[in-house]
Amino acid sequence: MPVSERRLLIRVGLFLAVAAGLLLLGVWKNTSLIARNWGLLAALILLAALVFLYLGFERRAVSAREIGVTAVLGAVAAAGRVAFAAIPGMQPATFVVIVAGFVFGPRTGFMVGATAAVISNFFLGQGPWTPCQMFAWGLAGITAGWLGILKPRVGRTEMVLFSFAWGYLFGWIMNLWFWAAFVRPLNWPSFLTTCAASFPFDTLHAAGNVIFTLLLGKTFYRMLMRFKRRMTVSVLPAPAAVPKDSDV
Amino acid sequence: MERLSYEEKGVFLQTLHTGVVLVYLGVLCVLALLFSHPLYLTGIFILGALAVIVSEAVEKWEMYLRMGIWMALLIMIINPLVFRTGKTVLWHGPTVPVLGKLDICLEAICYGAAMGIRLLAVLTVFCLYNAVVHPDKILSLFARYAYKSALVVSLATRMLPAVARDLANAREVQQLRGVDYGSGSLRERVRKHSWLLNIVLSSSLERALQVAEAMQARAFGTGPRSCYRRELRRPRDLLCFTAGILALLFSLLAKFKGYGDYTYYPQMGKLVESSSSVIWLGIILISLSLPVVLSWGWKHCPYLRSKI
Amino acid sequence: MSLFKIQNLTYYYPDRERPALKNINLHVEEGELLLIVGGSGSGKSTLARVLAGLIPDFYGGKIGGRVFFEGRELSEDGRRALSTQAGIVFQDPEKQLVMTAVEAEIAFGLENLGLPQQEMFRRVAEVMSFLNLSPLKNEFTANLSGGQKQKVALASVLVMQPRVLILDEPTSQLDPAAADEFFYLIERLNKEMGYTVVLIEQRLERCFHLADRLVVMERGEILREGPVGEVARWEVENALPFLPPVARFFAFLHAPFIPLTVKEGRRELKKFLPVSPARPPDAGRRASENNNPGPFPLLTMPKGQVKQERAVVEIKNVWFTYPNGREALKGINCRVEKGEFVVIMGENAAGKTTLLKQIVGLLKPGRGSVVVMEKDTRTVSLAELARDVGYLAQNPDDHLFQDTVEKELLFTLNNLSLADDGVIDAVLDKLSIVQHRDANPRDLSSGERQRVALAAVLVARPQLLVLDEPTRGIDYRLKKELGAFLKELAEEGLTVMVVTHDVEFAAEYAGRVIMMFDGMLVCDGPKDRVLGTSMFYAPQMARLFKDFAGGVLTVKEGLAKIRSNGDAKKCLSVNADC
Repeated sequence: MPVSERRLLIRVGLFLAVAAGLLLLGVWKNTSLIARNWGLLAALILLAALVFLYLGFERRAVSAREIGVTAVLGAVAAAGRVAFAAIPGMQPATFVVIVAGFVFGPRTGFMVGATAAVISNFFLGQGPWTPCQMFAWGLAGITAGWLGILKPRVGRTEMVLFSFAWGYLFGWIMNLWFWAAFVRPLNWPSFLTTCAASFPFDTLHAAGNVIFTLLLGKTFYRMLMRFKRRMTVSVLPAPAAVPKDSDV
Repeated sequence: MERLSYEEKGVFLQTLHTGVVLVYLGVLCVLALLFSHPLYLTGIFILGALAVIVSEAVEKWEMYLRMGIWMALLIMIINPLVFRTGKTVLWHGPTVPVLGKLDICLEAICYGAAMGIRLLAVLTVFCLYNAVVHPDKILSLFARYAYKSALVVSLATRMLPAVARDLANAREVQQLRGVDYGSGSLRERVRKHSWLLNIVLSSSLERALQVAEAMQARAFGTGPRSCYRRELRRPRDLLCFTAGILALLFSLLAKFKGYGDYTYYPQMGKLVESSSSVIWLGIILISLSLPVVLSWGWKHCPYLRSKI
Repeated sequence: MSLFKIQNLTYYYPDRERPALKNINLHVEEGELLLIVGGSGSGKSTLARVLAGLIPDFYGGKIGGRVFFEGRELSEDGRRALSTQAGIVFQDPEKQLVMTAVEAEIAFGLENLGLPQQEMFRRVAEVMSFLNLSPLKNEFTANLSGGQKQKVALASVLVMQPRVLILDEPTSQLDPAAADEFFYLIERLNKEMGYTVVLIEQRLERCFHLADRLVVMERGEILREGPVGEVARWEVENALPFLPPVARFFAFLHAPFIPLTVKEGRRELKKFLPVSPARPPDAGRRASENNNPGPFPLLTMPKGQVKQERAVVEIKNVWFTYPNGREALKGINCRVEKGEFVVIMGENAAGKTTLLKQIVGLLKPGRGSVVVMEKDTRTVSLAELARDVGYLAQNPDDHLFQDTVEKELLFTLNNLSLADDGVIDAVLDKLSIVQHRDANPRDLSSGERQRVALAAVLVARPQLLVLDEPTRGIDYRLKKELGAFLKELAEEGLTVMVVTHDVEFAAEYAGRVIMMFDGMLVCDGPKDRVLGTSMFYAPQMARLFKDFAGGVLTVKEGLAKIRSNGDAKKCLSVNADC
């Protein structure tokens, strides 16, 4: 396992510790302050997670090219949210994030996902949904990145299943905060009910992801791979004098 | 996606230091999540509404409310479905899998309603955020701590209108090549739209290289970086910051003393249990309302304007 | 000592067989303005990137030879030093801004250099006042106009206080007014502030006279460098096109002195042509005598054509207001016949693009009607209209998304349910892109991409071809090829309508010119009447010949005028034939 991956694991571990601490604080009966205040806790955990993930991006040396491509992919994903407004429920943002993560790795994947959420909301309006979207898309990018590391030659079916799953996962992550903040009691039936409410949208989302993966998956993958090769540059010496072209 | 959600209107809250605005809005949001007492929630909601009005963002707020009402309704439906230990059962429903017996009780509906207000309050705070914080200000604030991430967001924000324009242009061009975006099955229509994504992605990747080149030419990544910030600090920042922090402290104190919570289950408690509950709410709201009052005064009183 | 000195520089882009630069030897002197010209693919942009320190750092590839800055070899300096030695402004204003607000954008480079706050404040303030950007301080960079963006890009380079300013076709994406303003700034920077400037440009009418030295490049090599007049003469002898019309005209005449501006040119012309007392027929005056009921003079067709029964485009009293309330078209009346080559000109926001969109059916008139090939755009679907109307967008990349050129053409045919009856071969052949049939359009050069996009439009055999700014950012040779091609199409009976800012292009190839202002047609007629009598939209040759002779728009016509004038012929040896 490369050093950077190990660092990532350490960071994930650290985050889990913080989250566990917060959760303990939540169930500790004597703290009337935030005891059982799951809405606030969930928000805090979400923010902590985002901070940790951003730190991961911040810590490493990033070239101008990487910044550029990350930003552009984020912008494309965000623009996709509007481009398909004519077809309800269909939006390619998740698909773009997944392909980006798959090709460029978990960190870029996270950045693309989180960026897409933030910037589209600069235009559409920020809301409590912004951190949730950042987290959900970010996680989609991360998992796609892991998939890319574990299985670089993933098959079409697997990719389709993966993006299909993310249609629902995205919706469930979005529901989590809503559920924690506004629904009582917090148990499986109530979570399932919340998810049932969003089921039609999530299904459309998942279906959209599948369609996009089938239609564009290969093209996008090839385009990004080709671009990825251009990310590294090497300088070689060349002969200082070149014979003149006879045809000039 | 040509226009930012933010509009420069020259209102008081837009002139505040970004950090102060964030603290104040953060406090509002935390309080909305901290309290569950309907009076407290309503108080915070009304205060947020006043702030929206003095910030001339009512139009934007309507949009948020319209969406919020639907979500609030959803909350009021879900809660009664899953909570059945309330004493006042309004309707004995059938037994369904997963959920068990559907008994709709008054307490759960009321809880749902209170949570609806909480949601509206949170939405109002976010609406306020959109109305008074320029994305660029927030980015330059974060750039101090995480400049690479801030740079990515900044760059992406700048490129989004261009990408959206590319999309619109490509769409027009394809329409003129005979692509009819309105017709066909769902799959067919998605297919037609996905070509646009294809066009835009390849143009955008080129754009990424050119922007990267421009960044490199301007010494990006050549060593330690400094941070350009020109935010002024005025007395109003100190005032509003203090107001926000005070409100938070008062709230925590009240919470410790057991105010601000409300018993919904199994039977609803009295709305006003004690006078001190109302007094605490008053204190919190008064400290929270300072920026709103200053906003109003700033607009109407030139003397005050020159002093803060 | 020279500021820059390049010795035997050779450079290959990664994975390329052909060198982009070959045996380059060049020096840049302190305080001069060096103008580099050449066609696309000549290596001039590559050379700019070498001077800016981007090659090989950013691009990689193979490099040989040496580049010195004030005697030190460039590769010895760190990147931070490089970026303060030379600052570069790129071609496309859209693709070099990074931040969301103007002020932050300007400060970006300084942040990267790690300068202290106080120093940054001062520099940013100075640059913003110098370029008059203060009113835009908090503007969202994405919403600026092209000219403003380019000014911000210039500011963000100037603020780093580079010794040399490198400009890589900085105005190729701007409209003439913004381009003029930009060149004016460059002139001030060079003449008043003493900046050393390396300028790469295609719009030579506006910057030729600013240059101290001229470098001509082709195929990665420097063909010639030297004082402007000398190189200009050499260019004419070698039939190279990189000259503004006035200079080309006098170089053809073998004049002893090559004027670079209209002012100098008129002084020279006075020596052998008398100012003609009879002014050329004035279109405007005649219209007022006509006392037409319409707001504008009725057209008389070029070449004395009689009006045909069936117009290709018939625009009747069209008014249009955008949903945001902007009234973009105000009572447009216009009739375009079969086989016309019409150019629509006018400033930004004059309504040109809106009119174009009305004609192709993307927008429907609010009042009035647009009838194209006897189809009313309000009642006919876009797809149906698309059979008769071809549209080429400003950016050919908006067209292309298929894997091969052939598929791109087939795509259009399939959409319009047309069959390939050999039309693909014919079109590819006509545009001479047959050899790229199986290539991915995205891998081709920008000129080739434009031709592929055009092919994908022409394959449907439209009756009307509409082009939006087709000459933006393309070089002389491609422009010439495109113009000639469009003219040929028009002669074959296809109606061509072009929106452009390019006066010289209109003067050379159009038949009829329409000028728009504030949503109205202010002038419409044969090109020599519209452009010849115009003050600001006149091509350089018309300005040169104003009061000497009418009807001169191009160098060719100018030379013909001289040849027909006995006195002038005596003074000069007119033997050149262009």
